[in-house]
Amino acid sequence: MRLWIQAFGLVVVIASAIQAKVDLVTLPTRDTVQLTIYNSADMTLVRESRALTLKEGKNKLQFSWANTLIDPTSLEMLAKADADKIDISDLTYPPRVQNLGLWNIKSGISGKVPVEISYLTSGLSWRAFYMGTLTGDEKTMRLQGYVVVTNNSGEDYENAQTRLIVGQVHILDQIAELARRQYPYGRPGEIVTTEQLGREFRVRRAEELRETVAGAEPAARPSMKPKEIKKEGLSEYFLYTIEGTETIPNGWSKRLQSFDVDQVPVVNLYKYEEERYGPSVVRFLSFKNDKEHKLGDTPIPGGTLKVYRGVGDKGYLSYVGRSAFKYIPVDDDVELNLGAVGDVVVESKLMDYKTDNLRFDRNRNVSGWDEIRSFKIEVRNTREIPAKIEIQRNFNTPYWTLTKSGDFGQFEKVDVDTVKFTLTLEPRSAKKFEYVLTMYHGVRQEDFTRGVKAQIKETAK
Amino acid sequence: MSGKRNKLMLTTIVVLLICSGMVQARIKLVALPERAATVIRLDNPQATLIEEERVLTLQQGRNSVDFSWKGVSIDADSIRLRPLDHQDKVTLLSVSYPPNEAALVWDIGSDGDYAETVRISYLLSNIDRLITYKAVGDKAETMVDLTSFLVLRNFSGEDFDKARVLLDYGEAFEQGIAHEETKQMLFLKADKVPIIKVWKFDAAILPWDPEKLENKNVGIPVSYRIVNDPNSKLGKFALWGGKARLFQDDGHESTIFLGEDVTGLVPVGEKMELYIGDSRDIVVTQRKMRDEQINLIKNNDDKVVLFNTDEIITAKIENFKDSPAVLTMIQHIPGQWDMEECNMKYVKKDASTVEFEIKLPARTQAGPATKELTMHYHRRNVRP
Amino acid sequence: MKRALILTLLLMTSGAQAEVDLVTLPSREKVQLTIYNSADLTLVRERRNLTLKKGWNWLQFMWANTLIDPTSLVLEPLEQKDKVEIQQLVFPARLRELGRWLIRSETSGQVPFEITYFTSGLAWRAFYMGTLAKDERTMRLEGYVRVDNNSGEDYENAQTRLLVGTVHILDQIAELAKRQYPYGRPVVGGEDGGGYGGYGFGVSDRKGVPILGQVGGRSNVIDELGKLELKVIKKEGLSEYFLYTIEGTETIPDKWGKRLLSFEAEDIPVKSLYKYDEERWGPQTIRFVAFTNDEKHNLGQTPIPNGDVKIYSQADDAGYLSYVGGTGTKYIPVNEEVELNLGPARLVSVEPKLMDFKTENYVFDTKRNVSGWDEVRTWKIEITNTRTLPIEIEITRGFGTAYWELKLDGQDISYQKYDVMHARFKLNLGSRSKRVFSYTVRTYHGEREQSLTEQNIKSER
Repeated sequence: MRLWIQAFGLVVVIASAIQAKVDLVTLPTRDTVQLTIYNSADMTLVRESRALTLKEGKNKLQFSWANTLIDPTSLEMLAKADADKIDISDLTYPPRVQNLGLWNIKSGISGKVPVEISYLTSGLSWRAFYMGTLTGDEKTMRLQGYVVVTNNSGEDYENAQTRLIVGQVHILDQIAELARRQYPYGRPGEIVTTEQLGREFRVRRAEELRETVAGAEPAARPSMKPKEIKKEGLSEYFLYTIEGTETIPNGWSKRLQSFDVDQVPVVNLYKYEEERYGPSVVRFLSFKNDKEHKLGDTPIPGGTLKVYRGVGDKGYLSYVGRSAFKYIPVDDDVELNLGAVGDVVVESKLMDYKTDNLRFDRNRNVSGWDEIRSFKIEVRNTREIPAKIEIQRNFNTPYWTLTKSGDFGQFEKVDVDTVKFTLTLEPRSAKKFEYVLTMYHGVRQEDFTRGVKAQIKETAK
Repeated sequence: MSGKRNKLMLTTIVVLLICSGMVQARIKLVALPERAATVIRLDNPQATLIEEERVLTLQQGRNSVDFSWKGVSIDADSIRLRPLDHQDKVTLLSVSYPPNEAALVWDIGSDGDYAETVRISYLLSNIDRLITYKAVGDKAETMVDLTSFLVLRNFSGEDFDKARVLLDYGEAFEQGIAHEETKQMLFLKADKVPIIKVWKFDAAILPWDPEKLENKNVGIPVSYRIVNDPNSKLGKFALWGGKARLFQDDGHESTIFLGEDVTGLVPVGEKMELYIGDSRDIVVTQRKMRDEQINLIKNNDDKVVLFNTDEIITAKIENFKDSPAVLTMIQHIPGQWDMEECNMKYVKKDASTVEFEIKLPARTQAGPATKELTMHYHRRNVRP
Repeated sequence: MKRALILTLLLMTSGAQAEVDLVTLPSREKVQLTIYNSADLTLVRERRNLTLKKGWNWLQFMWANTLIDPTSLVLEPLEQKDKVEIQQLVFPARLRELGRWLIRSETSGQVPFEITYFTSGLAWRAFYMGTLAKDERTMRLEGYVRVDNNSGEDYENAQTRLLVGTVHILDQIAELAKRQYPYGRPVVGGEDGGGYGGYGFGVSDRKGVPILGQVGGRSNVIDELGKLELKVIKKEGLSEYFLYTIEGTETIPDKWGKRLLSFEAEDIPVKSLYKYDEERWGPQTIRFVAFTNDEKHNLGQTPIPNGDVKIYSQADDAGYLSYVGGTGTKYIPVNEEVELNLGPARLVSVEPKLMDFKTENYVFDTKRNVSGWDEVRTWKIEITNTRTLPIEIEITRGFGTAYWELKLDGQDISYQKYDVMHARFKLNLGSRSKRVFSYTVRTYHGEREQSLTEQNIKSER
């Protein structure tokens, strides 16, 4: 609201709409672009380098964009040469204009100055996915990793150096929401929410910086081998740099191979846990992301995995199943769940149940007792290859003792109320074992704690 | 700005001369005084105090001065006028508020003809400042170049051509800012501020056993810690709260974005912790291995009324990174307790919290660096 | 169209009341307004000179577009009281905003009269501005009153008095003024509740009764130019009220408002105090400015009416100010203490931490159930002052029970037993400093409460 002074003898002054139109430096095309794309958040760090022609003294540079989501609060400009002579003092967001930033530059020199403009944008994403091919004997696997980069930003990117970041970044606000806000930093006193301006960016060629990206340099001679992706660690993240540059028009995706490793030794692991998987045995492929397994260069980013198996000699494949990788650090174990199977079976039978050692209190009520259960477990491997089987049993009390006999393999107390038996079976074979579980209730728990435990330990071995 | 580029659109001052017998007093215009010096004080987030100086042409006798502020959010009660040149000769007699107008009329008595400089002060809303930070860390993550930006937001309805802007501290600076304009300025620059990287596992917040999760990673939160003291090239004044974005030099003449966090006010001597993201290269597997009741005390009905416990917790920590790290692990034990045995040193943060600083070497050819914590403690006098 | 009150003296010819001889009456000689702030009520006293003739005189009093309570109209002669008698006041049928007095006069000629009535629409409120000195030990306090005239009538040259105090009224003046019949109507078959209950308030439709004898326009006539001094407001006590009389007369046209300085006191010694009490204000430290309305504090002449207070402080030596905060204050009698709550403090923080907790001294009853115990807590309190001035802070801690015993771990502070369940600590901190102290509190529960009582009795002996 503006009050215009109208009265005798007073000069009425009209302010110009945007001071910015005066003395604007023409913004040249970009020389180079670098994209760093995050997959854990919709965010891409863009760095452009341009050569500005400045004059000595005050310069104003206007940067505006349309149909593409840029967070205005992330705009930054740095002089790449003569940085001490160039002062980029402030950035103004003029009133009632959106998608525009105006820099005030004080320059001590006149002429061409290379600058770098960086900002955060939304709409570019990448994901990883994998293909595993098991050999006939299922002892090794060929693992191929891919990345797909998708550009839905509203902007075409040509000859951009493309980098992907693996890692969980913490952000406070979504870039897309920051880009759509009516005022870059909001207004005093308001809780900032996304302003729906009804401007959906459409999938078409975007116009940026008042000049289209026209007349791109002729493409470099196409190289004869597929691009490599260089991987390095930085802080808590991994940086995948795609060799050379990429051109990804708006709306398009590009798939590249991330790695291809043959003969990764794998172990077929089968798990049986009634409380988790029910009565079936679940198959896992287990290996390790380390050098012994021909891997271990970088962590494995999460993504879906399809597993095939070679059948016969002519290179035909059979589809085994699908799974997903979570993020696997270097040297960590990998366990891929391939689903329930029928060719390895675990049968558990409760053979005997009784109670014992009843205790009574002063009022002749029952105050403690033991529950004794005898289980028989039978494990069958009907495949032509050996299998490793883990059987996990959960109890609902920490007061128990267990005696075992038979072919139980390795026994491990996992925690207060869980135990694990690990067995390895030859092809087409079966194994049996039994165990007796005594659970202590009421005052018998005290006996357990006090000393019976020690006694029982003696007799158990 | 020259006198012609007069951007006084919204607050106007009109000086009137009243001679006896004149009735239509509010309209006659003599001269339009310009704002001489304006001070915008942004040290209170609730309201901004504006003090502006104007030169009024006063005549001997009574003068009526009209001050209006249409479309500007000024608190009418807070408006004050103070003569500066001839304080004892110029007196403010009364203040009147005309109907249905964002305006007031000052009745000023003067015993002579003066061009009097007066200071007008008032509280203005919808104009304030924000602070944002940008930190660029080196590759080794030992220090950052810290910059802080001051963002001025002016939605008060008033344009300011050139004003002196003051905050709680620091130098005043000259700026102009129009209504609905937002301005971002470089405010503070400190290079090579030392930082400490902190990985924190809080057993009350994060899941204990990654195996029990269906194919999901547990991320250990990672923060950068900066101390606001002279050793860190800071320490001159408190750092205001605001959003901080962190980047890292990637060694290829470029940077990557590490994460962002919001910080509260950090007084001198205190720490700022910025949470960047989660690390999935450090894995903690924590399990309770013993949980028994001992020393039971019973009542006449043989019910337990008081007991102690015997508990053991183990935590396996694996570092899959190729560089060493220090994990801060926080464990919680409620009520009254004492530690029987613990294989690592800890600090008691409060009655129910203990903190461990566990140094993890980098992984080797043989695999990740592993350390195991075992805490054996008793809780006393527990009531069922 | 604002001149609303008209007095018309009707000359009675014998018999026929209907013939009216209108005599132009002089305007008000004097007007006195007494405005109440606790209710929408103003007592108006007008003085007029009437020319009476011997015998019966009718005096008609009309008002339009202004809210007057007809039941409050009183007419009194100021001279020749023995010769003039006010016989009755008639509110004619079907006429509103009109009253007629019947006067019996033994004399003829000019007689000064006083008319009093209650009107609505004038209001006043007080507000204050305090300016703290740089060291925050003294404060300058300015009290203002703002008078707003929404009565529908212009008041020129009225002696204006403002009344502080809560007055008890039965009916709102504005409602009485709008009633169709001055005293309402009898209720059909109903109880007589003093004559005021249950009558419909007919919403008057004032259709602009032509007003005779109006002096045109809103004028802002200023009285003698010679008087260029600031008006003084005189204050005196009357019954339960305080009366503020504004020197001279005021002219407030309809719909205008006026601000006047009520008092100005310099160098009021104040105490800048911080308080921390979790039960009252949560985990925040609250800032207070305290002083007393008495002579020692350069105040104390009158009570301070309730109103908003805004506190500023001297920012630098050039006289510039900084806004500290605002609050409202209630009515403050003479010699009472004032504590202005300026809200949460940003630069002073208090952090209590429970460092140790244990229980002991369990007592059992005959059934061997737990019947009593002690809880021992060790608290560490950390206070940080980031201001450049020293501060005084008061910390209140509650224990949830009346049975407690506190021991301080340190000699340099002490505590005061504030009430049965709370202890209070008072500390001073220098500028930009931190202070830490700790204490151990033992609370007694159940049967153990008795043992504390016994302990106290023993120690008293």
